[in-house]
Amino acid sequence: MSWGWIEALTFYVNKAYMNLPEPVPERLARRGELLKKLREVLRENQLVHSDEDLVAYECDALSAYRQRPMLVALPEDTLEVAAVLKICSALDIPIVPWGAGTGLSGGALPRPDGVVLSTARMREILDIDVENRTITVQPGVTNKAVSEAVAGQGFYYAPDPSSQIACSIGGNIAENSGGVHCLKYGTTTNNLLGLEVVLADGEVVRIGGKGMDQAGCDLLGLLTGSEGLLAVTTEATLRILPQPELARAMMAVFNSIEQAGQAVAEVIAAGMVPAGMEIMDRLSIEAVESFIGAGYPLGVEALLLVELDGPRSEVEHQIEILKNLLQKGGAGEIRVAQNEVERLKLWAGRKAAFPAMGRISPDYYCMDGTIPRGQLPFVLKCIGEFSEHFGLAVANVFHAGDGNLHPLVLYDSNREGDLEKAEELGAEILKLCVSVGGVLSGEHGIGIEKRDLMPCMFKDVDLDTQERIKDSFDSGQILNPGKVFPVLRRCVEGGAMHVHAGDEKFPDLELF
Amino acid sequence: MGEFTNAMDSALAVQERVREALAADEPLDIYAGSTKGELGRQVRGTPFDVSRVEGVVSYEPGELILVARPGTALREVEGMLASENQYFAFEPPAWGEGATIGGTVACNLSGSRRFKMGALRDHILGIEMVDGSGELIRAGGKVVKNVTGYDLSKALAGSFGILGALTEVCLKVWPRPETEQTLKVYGLKPPEALVRILDWAARPLEITGLAYDSRASALLARVEGPAPAVLQQIEALPLDGLEAEVLEGKASQDFWRQWRELEWLVPKAGEQRWRFSGPPTRMVRLMEALKAEGLSQWGLDWAGGLLWAVLPVATGVGLVHRTAVRHQALAWRFAAQAGGRNEEAFTPPNAGVFRMNQMLKKAMDPKGIFNPGKMYALDEVRA
Repeated sequence: MSWGWIEALTFYVNKAYMNLPEPVPERLARRGELLKKLREVLRENQLVHSDEDLVAYECDALSAYRQRPMLVALPEDTLEVAAVLKICSALDIPIVPWGAGTGLSGGALPRPDGVVLSTARMREILDIDVENRTITVQPGVTNKAVSEAVAGQGFYYAPDPSSQIACSIGGNIAENSGGVHCLKYGTTTNNLLGLEVVLADGEVVRIGGKGMDQAGCDLLGLLTGSEGLLAVTTEATLRILPQPELARAMMAVFNSIEQAGQAVAEVIAAGMVPAGMEIMDRLSIEAVESFIGAGYPLGVEALLLVELDGPRSEVEHQIEILKNLLQKGGAGEIRVAQNEVERLKLWAGRKAAFPAMGRISPDYYCMDGTIPRGQLPFVLKCIGEFSEHFGLAVANVFHAGDGNLHPLVLYDSNREGDLEKAEELGAEILKLCVSVGGVLSGEHGIGIEKRDLMPCMFKDVDLDTQERIKDSFDSGQILNPGKVFPVLRRCVEGGAMHVHAGDEKFPDLELF
Repeated sequence: MGEFTNAMDSALAVQERVREALAADEPLDIYAGSTKGELGRQVRGTPFDVSRVEGVVSYEPGELILVARPGTALREVEGMLASENQYFAFEPPAWGEGATIGGTVACNLSGSRRFKMGALRDHILGIEMVDGSGELIRAGGKVVKNVTGYDLSKALAGSFGILGALTEVCLKVWPRPETEQTLKVYGLKPPEALVRILDWAARPLEITGLAYDSRASALLARVEGPAPAVLQQIEALPLDGLEAEVLEGKASQDFWRQWRELEWLVPKAGEQRWRFSGPPTRMVRLMEALKAEGLSQWGLDWAGGLLWAVLPVATGVGLVHRTAVRHQALAWRFAAQAGGRNEEAFTPPNAGVFRMNQMLKKAMDPKGIFNPGKMYALDEVRA
């Protein structure tokens, strides 16, 4: 079965839609010179330039948008990264930094007139310092590998994006990746102590270290989540935490999403900060049950998963209070995982929510807005109305603790007009998130996907200041140009993480 | 706009004043409560009082956020949070009655929970400010999880006012733990105390304060949470026969308050305070090295990552900074009096970090009117 023509159409539509950058002919003409210069600093096996090999780099996990880069460089250390940047700066060739390519907003979408700078060969763990509770790694090390490297000593790395088995620390820093434990443990930016980066002109800079302060302004804060527009990470020192003594998970079902949302508010009002709180709606619950049979009850409107972690004495004390709170809050069935197997089973359903959608719908489009928790009932009501208006079903999974909403718009790209409707619906949802005091992206980043929605959240003057920072750090516009900032400064429709059945870039990765 | 000209109490008034300053190429020295005037270098600029840009704009306990204008008194906000059983988990030191939210953000000052709960910069979600183009801009948001544009809020935290004039900040607030207890262990020499601090910080316990009080040769460990859990955790900490006592409730709170407020670190005539931050394993050795420079008082906080010290005024400032750098630490020197000369107030960053700071400064404040020279001498170089 070939989806080629659909992809071609998608590409055409998106090209018109997203204003993907046109290649600059002068840059394409310098390809030979570029390759020659890069061969002076890299070995042949560190360069990818044949058409068939470049296919693997034509998109990140936002696979509806594809462009082949001019070539790919695979440096193995900081000096090689610096050398590549110097060459590209001198030849005015844009660079797209590339970690594992698991990003969901097209932040690593290549440019046809640019180089993809992959950190895949920079996978060394450089230092584990248990006494100072830090680990220093190269950017290509995966998120999961960090936790695994320190697990034997009783530590872990807190941010746990769903793609953690594949996504790289460099990419996590670029996107300020989160996960399901953000409310209690923060996102990447709260767990980063030091960086070595290379600036656009090739200068290598070390920022922070193993202490808890940096000299000067908070460059770590500025660079984290800057989506590869300001510098390329070549080394990171991360904070590691002692593994909690105990984690207990609990499931509660409710007759309405509002009730579940209210229960979350009650938990927080009671002074508890659970490690994770997740809400799923009816459509998600049913899809998950038919997909993996997690044992969730059917026929309920909302399911709330709460996990407490910490010292045994504290968790055991709080789990009873939590149970009472949820009961008072109108929960129907409440199930407390009695052991690790049961805990993982409760989570398995939630973690299967995205792939489960792939089973009930040919395509889905994953959104990533964050809203004030209290707006959940209103936002879900509006999403229901949008869904009816556009004639497309929307399933909702929600990181309820931190207000991060992942509506999944179900559509069929074989049906004419569905894709456009899904994108329009998605844009409406994000605009709604902003209008209730939320933001366009909680953890997936802006990238190319939501770039043109930025004016819905920021005024021109806000974006001017941000772009001045970009200009100041990268006056030649070498680092990942065309991402994050809108081409047109007005609030337009746009955006898209599309997943087509059997056409996922990373079908084996968890998404949640 | 005329009605705002003399009433410096709104964002628009701040904007108007900044625009005047830009037009006149007039550097500004931003201040509010002046409780932290001993930090940073002397600024040559027109004093610019933002203390009347005050008031809590919104406080939503259920959302765990608070939005306030910079001149709002820290004490007022903390009272408001306490009435809802919440607090700032970063435990900001006030250092005086007049402490404001804006000054707290500008200094990124964070108390003893730093190693567990993060610094102020970990709790700032969004800002509104007037930047060096004279525009009133916003960055960040009012939600915990956000990757929408550069995280300028963090850049402003700890920038000592050199990037612009804040007009509003959104901070994350946190449920206050039900109770606290502090275990005070006596008879520990500094290296032994550090070993214990590093061990305890690596345990999966709700320890939210780990300090060493050199006057009493005592290690202090604060545990917070539900009462039965706190008790069990305190009891589980190994004492190995050392003398110890438990400070409960108010006694525990009082200790950490006076510790945070530096009431114990009082320089005598001819002395001044210093603050050193670095890798916990290095800080006792740094302290030992500072003895050669006349160290008279000191204590450790942040599970070993922060060293407070008193040194003679006569000690060579550059020498102290070099000693700090040798131990991978950063030093802050307090000025002899608030707003006084304090040439090398902060350990200078390496050349690359310095260049990146200049890039940021140039983008935010191209004419160099905000607190020029507050952090480093070269900040004074005007574009």
